[in-house]
Amino acid sequence: MASSKGPASPAVRVAEMEKMSVEQLKAVKEQTDLEVNLLQDSLNNIRTATTRLDLASAALHDLSLRPQGKKMLVPLTASLYVPGTLDDSEKVLVDIGTGYFVEKTMVEGKDYCERKIHLLKSNYDQLLELASKKKTVADEAGAVLQAKLKQLAPQT
Amino acid sequence: MASPAAVRELQRDLENKANDLSKIQKDIAKNHQVRKKYTIQLGENELVLKELELLKEDANVYKLIGPVLVKQDLAEANANVRKRIEYISAELKRLDATVQDLEEKQNSKREAVLKVQQRMQALQAGKAKA
Repeated sequence: MASSKGPASPAVRVAEMEKMSVEQLKAVKEQTDLEVNLLQDSLNNIRTATTRLDLASAALHDLSLRPQGKKMLVPLTASLYVPGTLDDSEKVLVDIGTGYFVEKTMVEGKDYCERKIHLLKSNYDQLLELASKKKTVADEAGAVLQAKLKQLAPQT
Repeated sequence: MASPAAVRELQRDLENKANDLSKIQKDIAKNHQVRKKYTIQLGENELVLKELELLKEDANVYKLIGPVLVKQDLAEANANVRKRIEYISAELKRLDATVQDLEEKQNSKREAVLKVQQRMQALQAGKAKA
């Protein structure tokens, strides 16, 4: 990343910001705000992906409860379904990415979903921490900027 | 001394250098975009590799080629994904070298632009005094 306020404690950061001019401070605040927005977008993406995986996991579970030979409607397109019968719900085809599909058992399939959900949750937590740190820096920059502008204003 | 022709020439020089600088910056931005794409692909391929490694030898692997699901040999799938990862890593390294080179060029162009600006300012100041 371009700017990372890593080891600097909040007091040090604010002190450095006080030294900057209004222009520089505005630039810093804008940059940090941009980074916060990017991180928020990523967080949203992870949330969406986690929801989809949850749905997949629920669908798998439902499928495992159905008996073989059960009548069902199979989607051929978004608006076309054809009647069919459930063959073997013990085997499932899992999309593992880059165009590869793996045949797994129902149990392995559920396990796959669980693993992916865990991975996403831990990524989400890490990102959340990073995002809140950046937000703190952005807020500090905003506060110092406000103070400086107030200082300049009464002189006019 | 500070003839209008000299000023015009400096201005042209400044414009040229500024154009060069903006081109370098566009190249750097493009480099970042490509590198982002490759990094994402690398991550995805590594995930796939991990999944493939968890499989038993006799597990069925299929690859989606267009609208067709084709059965693949596990060993072959592993080899393909590994090769892809190697290729992407090599591309990323190449991009790293390119972007470093571009950044050096950018910095030296910036300095050159600054120098021309300073000369122009000196010229203008000289003209004002005269």
